[in-house]
Amino acid sequence: MHMRPAGILIIAAVLLAALLTAGCQTQSESPAALKIGVVASMTGPASTTGKDVWQSAQLAADEINAKGGVFVKSLGKNVTVQLVQGDDESTREGGQKAVTKMITDDRVDILVGGFSSAVVTAHQSIVADHKVPYIITGASSSTVTHRTDVDTSTMFHHAPITDASASQTTIFIDEVMRPAINTKFGLAADRPLRLAVVYQDSPFGKGALAAIESTIAAKGLKIQVVANETYKMGETDFRTILTSVKAKKPDAIYPIAFLNEEVPMLTQARRDVGLDTIFLAVECVDDPDYYKGLGQYGDYSIIESRFSAYATPRGPISQNVEKYRGDYEARFGASPGMMGAATYEGVYVAVAAAEKAGTLDRAALVTAIGSIEVPEMVESMEGGVISFANQFRESQFNLFMEQLHWDADKQLLRPKIIWPDELKEAAFEIPAWYRPGSG
Amino acid sequence: MTLDPGTLLQILFWGLYAGCIYILLATGVNLIFGVMKTVNFAHGELLMIGAYVTWSLFVLTGVNPYLLLVATVPVLLALGVAVERLAFRPVLGSNKLNEIFLSIGLIYLFQNGAALLWGDDYQSLRSPFEAISVPIADFRLPLDYLIIIGVTVAVLVGLQLLLRRTRLGLALRATSQNRKAAMLSGIDVERMDMLAFGLGAALAGAAGTLWAVSGQVFDPYMGSVPAIKAFAIVILGGLGSIPGAILGGLFYGLAESTATYTLGGAWKDAISFVLLIIVLVIRPTGLFGERGE
Repeated sequence: MHMRPAGILIIAAVLLAALLTAGCQTQSESPAALKIGVVASMTGPASTTGKDVWQSAQLAADEINAKGGVFVKSLGKNVTVQLVQGDDESTREGGQKAVTKMITDDRVDILVGGFSSAVVTAHQSIVADHKVPYIITGASSSTVTHRTDVDTSTMFHHAPITDASASQTTIFIDEVMRPAINTKFGLAADRPLRLAVVYQDSPFGKGALAAIESTIAAKGLKIQVVANETYKMGETDFRTILTSVKAKKPDAIYPIAFLNEEVPMLTQARRDVGLDTIFLAVECVDDPDYYKGLGQYGDYSIIESRFSAYATPRGPISQNVEKYRGDYEARFGASPGMMGAATYEGVYVAVAAAEKAGTLDRAALVTAIGSIEVPEMVESMEGGVISFANQFRESQFNLFMEQLHWDADKQLLRPKIIWPDELKEAAFEIPAWYRPGSG
Repeated sequence: MTLDPGTLLQILFWGLYAGCIYILLATGVNLIFGVMKTVNFAHGELLMIGAYVTWSLFVLTGVNPYLLLVATVPVLLALGVAVERLAFRPVLGSNKLNEIFLSIGLIYLFQNGAALLWGDDYQSLRSPFEAISVPIADFRLPLDYLIIIGVTVAVLVGLQLLLRRTRLGLALRATSQNRKAAMLSGIDVERMDMLAFGLGAALAGAAGTLWAVSGQVFDPYMGSVPAIKAFAIVILGGLGSIPGAILGGLFYGLAESTATYTLGGAWKDAISFVLLIIVLVIRPTGLFGERGE
């Protein structure tokens, strides 16, 4: 095959241009930015949360850059925060692909984000192999931080683990719900509360159930687990399970479920099965979509939380919460969720670590995060600071409980913080239609 | 375990409701297989699209979602016809692997298309009758479930009339029984393929509407599990047998509901496949299947 001279010239020109462009890219790769890889489920079933995670990171990065970026001592200058999006596609494989690309191709300095425990555990070994600092702001199973088969020494957990959140809810049930129900219905003060647990058949669900049972046993709480029913992840038809639960006559039902499971579960319980009881919910479902999806069926239900789109805890962070919520709504036209809130803080922690380390070296960043103390921002933290100083490098949250109320005039379901006392806005209420169970 | 009559009736009703969705889906799969001798693995995605079409029309018009069946079913019928004409017909008869991979490819195409069009977020629909319930024995059954059962029966009766009392139905059945003989007798078998695929898609669309209106959430990725169950029902009832799909669907719905109550929710999917294995060991052609299918 013969090629015309013009063709050869065109190919040569293209090759030359490619070489020159490659040269330009190499020159521009001097560290003019702190590169933060954001692990977010931008597509797939968890994309609602993923978008919240990504948008919150964008908000934090833009705020930081607007103030001049981050000062890195070894470079002798301020650098900007540059976000790199890693879509885990809500799958284990997607997460592995996204994290590998961000580490090897994009050469990020630090990773922030990660939602599902199943997805995060699948890519932790990749992070460990490259010793990249990773601030995990979503996955809640303790297997993420307590595992020993992977070196997690570069990973930091900025989300409450399931054990802690299930334990807090169990204490709330004993301290607040049980006495209120016994008093209102003239029952013996020491009557145990009859609790039904409906849990996802996954490490997340099983871990929470174990935490509930161990909390009851360890603290000697007057709670009797009268039913523990399991279901497959992603289930949408809960009618038979709820019929089974109803037959056990519980005083309250505590589902360990994701948002897309809890909404149909509660709707079917109230609408189809006729369960006139109070439902609880785990903290990871406190999202604007939860309130929208439940509507009037969520009236008087309880949800554990650490950040709510519609409730502001009293105390030092209330102004930060209002500002964050306002800025987020103004920019994205939607209310922020709690995974986003943790990611927003995660970006600030990454920046604080870079300033403390004085370098963008990954090992130095890991050391800096390990000893950092960042003042609490939009979520209430134990001791008022975000710190990873404990054994498993987990930050410690002050969790709170909210009760949801249906506003028939505005056709809106909204929460009020009811526990603990130092954060609460209102008292726990038992609805008129509520009927206690009986043994 | 004590089981009072009210609870037992409730469990049976939930099984009957689930069975209705399965029946519509499995009947569609069987109709397509019966005529075209091909399996559409993307059939669950047609249910998903049916749910989204109803939801979209409801959001746009506010019309009673049950009435929207009148619009959703033709939309899905047209989609089915288009899929058969543009995707399946070029590969039909070439190689079974081509047909299998084509339908697997369609799963991703439909899922991503739905995500692009309607977003990844889950959606739900509220029935206008959600506050109405009917007292049956000592429990109150929401009216919606009676309507769902009624709609399913009406759709199946309509399908049966079409297949048994019209020339079109006769042509469809002839193509299903012997494609070559049907062709030789002047039946346009390619037209029958198109019609069978369209009807199968329309049944999936009806299932999608009923799924949505019954208080279940849906997202672009929800079709796979119902589709797997529909295939299992088809095998259980017998390939190509519509009575088999109806009986199999009912059997599955009731088995799932009973297993969930007695063994726990983790057994819901497993028990159906355990039963499938048992039936196949005893009768490899399924309950109503014939040798050679």
